Amino acid sequence: MRTILKLTATLYDDLVQRLREPHDFAGERVAFLKCRPALSATSLLLLAGGVHHVENEDYVNDPTAGATVGRSGLRKVLQAAYMEAVSIVHVHLHEHRGRPRFSKTDLRENALFVPDFWNVQPSLPHGAVVFSFDSAVGQCWIPGSPSPSGVEVAIVGSPMRCTWKVTNG
Amino acid sequence: MGDKLNLQRQSFLGAGSEIVLGRSRAALVGLGGGGSHIAQQLAHIGLGNFLVIDSDFIDDTNLNRLVGATMEDVRLGTAKIDIAERVIKAVNPAAETIKRRANWTEVTAELRDVDVIFACVDSIGCRSELEGFARRFLIPLIDIGMDVHESSGEFSISGQVMLSMPGKPCMRCMGLVTDEALAKEAARYGAAGGKPQVVWPNGTLASIAVGLFMKLVTPWETHKVTPLLLEYDGDLQTVAPSNKLAYLPAYCKHFDSLNELGDPFWTPDALAVVE
Repeated sequence: MRTILKLTATLYDDLVQRLREPHDFAGERVAFLKCRPALSATSLLLLAGGVHHVENEDYVNDPTAGATVGRSGLRKVLQAAYMEAVSIVHVHLHEHRGRPRFSKTDLRENALFVPDFWNVQPSLPHGAVVFSFDSAVGQCWIPGSPSPSGVEVAIVGSPMRCTWKVTNG
Repeated sequence: MGDKLNLQRQSFLGAGSEIVLGRSRAALVGLGGGGSHIAQQLAHIGLGNFLVIDSDFIDDTNLNRLVGATMEDVRLGTAKIDIAERVIKAVNPAAETIKRRANWTEVTAELRDVDVIFACVDSIGCRSELEGFARRFLIPLIDIGMDVHESSGEFSISGQVMLSMPGKPCMRCMGLVTDEALAKEAARYGAAGGKPQVVWPNGTLASIAVGLFMKLVTPWETHKVTPLLLEYDGDLQTVAPSNKLAYLPAYCKHFDSLNELGDPFWTPDALAVVE
């Protein structure tokens, strides 16, 4: 089964614009997509309908990572997941073209904090995606599955941008 | 020369366009006068994956406009989806065609998998419901419709092609679906007699619809904004962006909530079925 994150181009453009805003000390910004899941004949769909942005004061000054979100920031996004009954997908941006990769730190941290969202929404899948300017890769934790699966991304707009349709994606 | 479609003459669509088209999937809901044209054109441009949906069989009143249909089909009462598949395969044998002789509401799991839905349906109610579905699963929907009006003993042909893009104005925003029109249609439900339909307006509208599709999947230029609503004047033989576009909101207010997305009856148990 494939997992596909879908978001509108409008949402994506706003997201990227916010992720590229400089921060006083954090090397990069992160955000959390609020999604509703659905099953198609072949795939698990994560349908993004909004973004939870991390506020400036919720970043922790941590020189060992590009961005570290403090406890209060995580509490806010956990609360959003609980109150709005949404799947959460953590996102950040690598500012280059071509297929991005999660760093070792990303992979370690993803495995630690993404399953935490099951504490507030145990029946929903949650994940993490890293975007580049023209591609993306992701991981999704599905309830009942011990390890994460890959995530493909479709940006729905004019033009459509789907990671599985481009040769460098 | 072999069985592979040679797309050399459309290479201006981009180096990767053949791959993108081959990996793209479109649903055609309704394989009558409009849908049959679209199926044929999508086959020619090299679309790799079709989902064709229509519960109907051909009859002799369809033959004036259903592309690919023959007298023999009328005699046999061939299903419209079978005619569509035959047309597609005759052009591009490599295309995958999933056929469903059903109402679209019976094949929603497969519909969720497509990149674009073409709505080639007759009623306002049906196009409104289909748009609601497409918005829920973030699928662009391209709708075509034509009408013949009688006035003072003369006739007038008109129509429209609309791109319903998730996040952008919807059919209600554009006034194509209104409560009044739905009520009027419901009051007429069951009335005898088919609406007038002819082949050439369907062909014009279908060509515009395929052009919109191509701008979505393999755009050949990126500077001109794709109009979301194009209006066809069948008397003047013109197609132009609608004047309504200037007055539309930037974003849709009818489908703007998280609650309008995804499976309303989500349960992780269903994952086992897909596995």
